[in-house]
Amino acid sequence: MLDEVRILSQPFPGYGFEKSSLEYGLSEKPHLLVCQGTSTDMGAYYLGSGKLFVGRVALKRDLDLLLSYALKNDVKFIASLIGSGSDVDLTHGLRVLDEIARERQLNFRAAVISGEIDKEWLKGKLAEGADTWRLAPHPNLVDELSEVDVDESVRIVSQMGPEPVMKALDLDVDVIITGRSLDVGLIAALPLKLGFEPGLTYHMAKTLECGALSASPATCSDLQFASLRRDHFIVKPPNPLRKCTPLSCAVHSFYERSDPNREECPGGYLDVSDASYEQIDERTVKINGSKWVKTPYTIKLEGAKLVGNRTITVAGIRCPTIIGRIDAILNDVSDFVKHQSMESGIGVDDFQLMIRVYGKDGVMGELEPKKKAISHELCIIIDVLAKTQDLSNNICALTRSTLLHWGFPRRMTTAGNLAFPYSPSDIPVGKVYEFNVFHKMELDNPCEPFMMKILEFPGMNEVFE
Amino acid sequence: MIKKTLLTKLATVIRSKNAGPFKITLDIFFKNEENYRKVKGSGVITRETIAKLYNIPENRILGIYFVDKVHGIKITILRGPSSGSATDTDVYGAQQHAPLLALEIPLTY
Repeated sequence: MLDEVRILSQPFPGYGFEKSSLEYGLSEKPHLLVCQGTSTDMGAYYLGSGKLFVGRVALKRDLDLLLSYALKNDVKFIASLIGSGSDVDLTHGLRVLDEIARERQLNFRAAVISGEIDKEWLKGKLAEGADTWRLAPHPNLVDELSEVDVDESVRIVSQMGPEPVMKALDLDVDVIITGRSLDVGLIAALPLKLGFEPGLTYHMAKTLECGALSASPATCSDLQFASLRRDHFIVKPPNPLRKCTPLSCAVHSFYERSDPNREECPGGYLDVSDASYEQIDERTVKINGSKWVKTPYTIKLEGAKLVGNRTITVAGIRCPTIIGRIDAILNDVSDFVKHQSMESGIGVDDFQLMIRVYGKDGVMGELEPKKKAISHELCIIIDVLAKTQDLSNNICALTRSTLLHWGFPRRMTTAGNLAFPYSPSDIPVGKVYEFNVFHKMELDNPCEPFMMKILEFPGMNEVFE
Repeated sequence: MIKKTLLTKLATVIRSKNAGPFKITLDIFFKNEENYRKVKGSGVITRETIAKLYNIPENRILGIYFVDKVHGIKITILRGPSSGSATDTDVYGAQQHAPLLALEIPLTY
């Protein structure tokens, strides 16, 4: 029975990392190289539109290095690709891997597991009475999911737990690629399968999932390494210029999490409140005391719906008279645009006009405590959302021309109120999406909705989308 | 004697970030344990003060955590617009920490 599992982690393919760290890391003879690359961080657009979030050039460079090293050194490679982790995204990732396989003459077999949820399957579950809960008490989220929400979503993905990956580990494959998945699940799968204690396993996975972010100096653009044993684990960044300290490891539980003591996962949660962190050499920390608490199995569902089409105009303002009167001016211009539009037969509900004011409250919006613009310069963004791109273009154009020429008391700049950096000044941005599904759903079989295929590379004879 | 000190003089990190697309989490890390204990003990970091600072109703404060082990404080609040939604101003929620910079902690000397 294996008494130790050694894991190397480099997240976010496309963000870049030090090649030398990969070489150092491989000298530790890891069993596994993991690359988690999916998230909701970048907003709902990527889930809704299917557009690639990272640059393809950087994505290929990173995957090329990781995949080649893993295959050449007989290290298992597990990665979640990419961005929102939908099937469109997964296919982007698979095509890049296929290109790499052809160019490097690498032949390998991969288990590919989709993280996208079939809508009919989901509606069937809801009809059967599966319990769902929204993950935040937010007005955009219904308490319990219904068919309507599923249909309104462009697509729905789910963070698969470690179980589908554990199944894939049974197969004769060199590589496992998933769509949207629980980041710690990718790392935890092998140790869990080998019977390692779940509290330690998940804590180790958590410490590794963002790469060297749990090291000092911290960054996710560099690798992290851990050795998991039966009663503890150690963490040590491969890059000799970084080190782990008890503090660097412990504070990682704060990053991007609402609760610093608990990490909710399918089937349970990790409790690190009693974990202990010990510096055992200059760069290595030993951790134990982590606890896993079982809960009924649920999966997290993420879905985005289309809310409209956007056009923006960016413009600068330098005149203090305009700046001193900006709120009233923008209100009056908005009113004018709305009235003019009504006269053209455009309903007031057909579009949303927002004018962002940077130099005043552009960054914080409603949360900004400083209410008055005292800057010598403002940047305003006319931001129109409408049912069609054509309508948003039109409303934006009208707002832009109106604001440029708007007259008001004590106006000095009677030739024009705005400095446009660009011609064309109006920029059609495209579709806008919002998360409408962000719910937990109870699930009996952790693998049920996550379809798996075996693909030979090079190949791509069969694709997901 | 009680002297008011800016939080910025006691903390090394004051940051904000999304915790999922519907929540923003604020983290405060301190130079040393002493500073952390002073701030924790001052009783300034409460739902009431944070709600006032951010001009939001108290029910939008989802949690306040004091973690002695890392001398860190975490405050999680419910977002207004969700991440990437039409009226969102900060997709990653990374620049919403500024009101904390004005926080003053009364310290007893």
